[in-house]
Amino acid sequence: MKEFNWSKYSKPLILVAFVVILSILRPKAFLSLNNFSNVLWSVSVIGIMVCGTIFVFLIGGIDLSIATLCAFTAVVVVEITHLLGDTPVAVCVGVVAALAVGALAGAVHGLIITTFHIPAFLVTFATQSIFLGLAMVLTNNKIVSCTVPAFTAIGAMKILGFPLPVYFMLVMAVISWFILRKTVYGRYVYAVGGNSMASAISGIHVKGVSIGCYVLSGLTTALGGIVLASMTQQASSSTGSGYTNDVITAGVIGGVSLLGGEGTVPGAIFGAVLMGLLNNGLNLMSVPSTHAGLVKGLVIIVAVAFDAMQHADQSKKKARKVKKRGESV
Amino acid sequence: MKRLSQTAMRRLISIGMLLVLVALFTILAGFGQGKFFSSANLIEVVRDASVPAIIGVGVTFVIITSGIDLSTGSAMALVGMTMANIYEYTLLPFKVMVLIGILVGLACGLFNGIVIAKLHVPEFIGTLATMSIYRALTYIIAIKDANGVIKSQPMTHSQYVWLGTGVGKFYYVIMAMIVIVLIGQIVLKYTRYGTNLYSVGASRKAATLSGINVEMTQLIAYVITGFTVAVGAVFTTARLQSATTAIGTDFEFNPIAAAVVGGVALSGGSGDVIGTTIGALFMATLENGVRKLDMNTSYQYVIKGIIIIAVVIFDATYKARMDKKAKEQGAKEGLE
Amino acid sequence: MAGSTILEARNIYKSFSGVPVLQDVHFEVKAGEVHALMGENGAGKSTLIKIVTGVYSKDEGQIYWEGKPVEINNYQDCQKLGVACIYQELSVIPPLTVAQNVFLGREPRNGPFIDYGKMNRMTQELIDRYQFPLKPTTVVDNLGIGQRQLIEILKGLSQNSKLLIMDEPTASLSGREAEMLFRIIEQLRSQGVSIIYISHRLEEVYKLSDRLTILRDGKNAAVLEKEEIIPAKVIETMIGKVVDESAGSKKMLHSDDSAEVRLDVKGLTDATDRFRNISFQVHIGEILGLGGLIGAGRTEVVRAIYGIDKAASGEVTLDGKKLNPSPRASILEGIGFVPEDRRNQGFIPLLSTTRNVALTNYDIIKKNGAAISDADELDMSRRAIKAIDIRPSDPDKQVGVMSGGNQQKVVLGKWLMRDLKLLIVDEPTAGIDVGAKDEIYSILEELAQNGVAVIVVTSDLQELLRVSHRILVMRKGDIVKEFKNVEVTQAMVLAAGQGVEQEAEK
Repeated sequence: MKEFNWSKYSKPLILVAFVVILSILRPKAFLSLNNFSNVLWSVSVIGIMVCGTIFVFLIGGIDLSIATLCAFTAVVVVEITHLLGDTPVAVCVGVVAALAVGALAGAVHGLIITTFHIPAFLVTFATQSIFLGLAMVLTNNKIVSCTVPAFTAIGAMKILGFPLPVYFMLVMAVISWFILRKTVYGRYVYAVGGNSMASAISGIHVKGVSIGCYVLSGLTTALGGIVLASMTQQASSSTGSGYTNDVITAGVIGGVSLLGGEGTVPGAIFGAVLMGLLNNGLNLMSVPSTHAGLVKGLVIIVAVAFDAMQHADQSKKKARKVKKRGESV
Repeated sequence: MKRLSQTAMRRLISIGMLLVLVALFTILAGFGQGKFFSSANLIEVVRDASVPAIIGVGVTFVIITSGIDLSTGSAMALVGMTMANIYEYTLLPFKVMVLIGILVGLACGLFNGIVIAKLHVPEFIGTLATMSIYRALTYIIAIKDANGVIKSQPMTHSQYVWLGTGVGKFYYVIMAMIVIVLIGQIVLKYTRYGTNLYSVGASRKAATLSGINVEMTQLIAYVITGFTVAVGAVFTTARLQSATTAIGTDFEFNPIAAAVVGGVALSGGSGDVIGTTIGALFMATLENGVRKLDMNTSYQYVIKGIIIIAVVIFDATYKARMDKKAKEQGAKEGLE
Repeated sequence: MAGSTILEARNIYKSFSGVPVLQDVHFEVKAGEVHALMGENGAGKSTLIKIVTGVYSKDEGQIYWEGKPVEINNYQDCQKLGVACIYQELSVIPPLTVAQNVFLGREPRNGPFIDYGKMNRMTQELIDRYQFPLKPTTVVDNLGIGQRQLIEILKGLSQNSKLLIMDEPTASLSGREAEMLFRIIEQLRSQGVSIIYISHRLEEVYKLSDRLTILRDGKNAAVLEKEEIIPAKVIETMIGKVVDESAGSKKMLHSDDSAEVRLDVKGLTDATDRFRNISFQVHIGEILGLGGLIGAGRTEVVRAIYGIDKAASGEVTLDGKKLNPSPRASILEGIGFVPEDRRNQGFIPLLSTTRNVALTNYDIIKKNGAAISDADELDMSRRAIKAIDIRPSDPDKQVGVMSGGNQQKVVLGKWLMRDLKLLIVDEPTAGIDVGAKDEIYSILEELAQNGVAVIVVTSDLQELLRVSHRILVMRKGDIVKEFKNVEVTQAMVLAAGQGVEQEAEK
């Protein structure tokens, strides 16, 4: 009688299937440690970012400014490093400043959204333009390169064969997982996303919890921006373009509901890794990156439609039951 | 007791915002030849507003059903690139090329409609996905030069060039906008389908009870958007006299922003095409005016974002106040 | 005036999962009459209506329309016959005009275009015929609830409905709006339209109805002609004549006046006038029942005490300490609150029993640094599950998929894990099966024995009598009656809530 619980095992199964398919199609190229570390390196920025934006998704919000905030903070860290004389100390100040900018941006999002009850979609759409403009202002609309060793180390240094960003991703995932899974704040985030009215009646400060989520999203976006700038040894207003979609896609594939209340950090990281494998696989198959969107888009539609169908099945069954039993739902 | 209805008030506010913006830029960027407030520039503003306004018709329909379409920019690029392929590789006449372009637009809309109305993928995610699909397809069919590098495809067919012009300064794209906007408004206000759009957006349950086919209403709205996207793509490539893979990048938010500024609520069930058109004019004025301020282009983005936030906050507080007032009024008056 | 029988339901039986809800019920409506349908909560009124409108299928029996047997399987069948239901949750479309709403989906057309002239004329004709205070071209957004209800009625009439079903139509109307509705009901009756009028409010039923069918425990209790509709008689029939202690229709109230005052409410007044100048006290170990009709302002009062809504004026003190009006502060002071709207306000459907029970209690759950002790959280959940027998007993079960009774136990359970001084429960057993009801009553009684003050808001008279030590009755935003240290019957409470003089008791 036990039904196979698809939703529980589907994610690891998809990953395994992916690995198997790629191993068969491109055994030599895919199954090397080097490639493995490459995959992780390329997913690390998405992974870092999704660790914070998952908070926003969990309360039913969205952040369309990820890409340009990433650019803006990347520019901030690079410009400050230059301004203070390219010393390791300057790099530190730059990093702190960029993180502060990210947190502040998130706070502004949260404040506007909760105070005026405006859809997150609109607010972050507008700030997206603002961050882009600010990044362009700071760089004079040019690419600013930065080869200060202390800075490039962030993206390039390897420990035990894996680049530093991979460890960043892991640390962020652990922190994010810890907050969501272990702290009172994390419990409140799920509660607010699941039912904000019941949360308020249970004494939760809904507005404060929501603003916190946007701040965390801003922070990880900034960290992503710093890492990306360091990896590419440069920053410009187009740093991180495309990342908004990638991060949202990673979340959605990872089972994070954009309606709020559902989703886990391991799921989101899974989404990021799958995106990375997808990118890597397409790359190994010599599919240009510009074509990858086709596959990514179809993957999202199939994943979500499948999910929606299961939900519809359940509610249909329930509706039939109600008609028969006359339960009030 | 003559009070303006809320919809009429909202219309006055959008027009007011547009006029304030025009006045603001007239003061800041000056008037006279070559300045912001000159006949040539104002026509340019209307021309810039035309494509967002045309696509805004479809997007308005979709938003009224409480949906959203994020794929318009990519679909535009796909339509443009399809036509570029026909232009480059076939000898098909101009009219057939445009017709196929429009069919591609309709197909994009149909696909969106199926994903959302039939597969029940949430609007936001669904069109976000098709946005990357259409963009990727554009790249896949993009025309490459001898070295295999994607190139911008010039399209200098005489009829095409003609389409980018007009009767004097009265560009054909402006005429097309006027015609499509009027048709859109008539469909919205004078046909059953238009009424159904509002019903579906305001209350799916009530619409179903009244025998309205909710899924079909949604699906058709996306198909109509596909059509307007195709028209927009034809005029955009005609104006540029070329097709590139970059057409419509970040465009998708323009018609949505136009709709919001023009009083179309993202929650569905309210607003109209004329409102969105005013919103498109607002956005075009904003872009143009900021450009005419003679400052670093970078600041344009900052100012644009700040003004959108200001408008949205103003709109939200105004609506909250009106709702409260209406509630109090209702509680106090009861029936007259 | 009333003529031939238009709708007749004969020998209707219906049971839900083996529990009979309707047994051999007869119901008959004549052309051109206002036929009221009354009964206590759970008497089977709404089930009967849902069978007539095709929402539920009947187990046995037959429905006749104008003398002919008919099958009604859905709302469309109903409309075809000429039966229209005026929904409680209004189904008008706010951005459309009155005329557009009335003719939604059936707009008269001229080619592809809606013929607004014709449509507005047709609407105006209807409006004129029934003298509704509406204009065809007004956008519904600008109308009050009362007028929106009239549009629903008009929609029914435009389809030549011969029978309108109104379920608690005045529940959300102001006094003046209700007056308007009554006038229109009179009008419709004089035009030969039949109306089934379901209401808890006796005064409305006396005023309007030609006949009255009373259901009790799923059976016909009486069909009264107009001249037989006397308040005392109706109340007696609804409750059952047999005055039986165990059935909970009568109770001797006892208050322990020596107990200290726990909660003191002074002059609490609402900003939007839903309640005025409310003052009362609750003692340690006392269960105070708040009775009255739905919409009397009881929920609003307890929400203000707990701090969800802020009162315009007045003061609330707990053990002599002035309370800060916020849920957080109330919780920390030892107040618990079980809201009326369980599904929307009571719990987080996606989360497990454990997470729901722990939600208000993280201040007392052990932590290692910043990390919640999962063991302690789970332990609390297990204790709650054991204490009030939550089923399924799996602490990881999503609360959203549980039965109503168990959901309510989860909502209640979280408060039992704290040191409570005061517990407020609003309609604690609405939509819950009998077994779970009894369990919830004994939990409340146990709490009171342990010194917790309890406020119970309930519209279920039997429940009110069963659990309360003392009863306050509210009506239209005021406390109108206190029952203390007296023998009280359901009829007395009902009469007080209805504003009917005390002739009901002998």
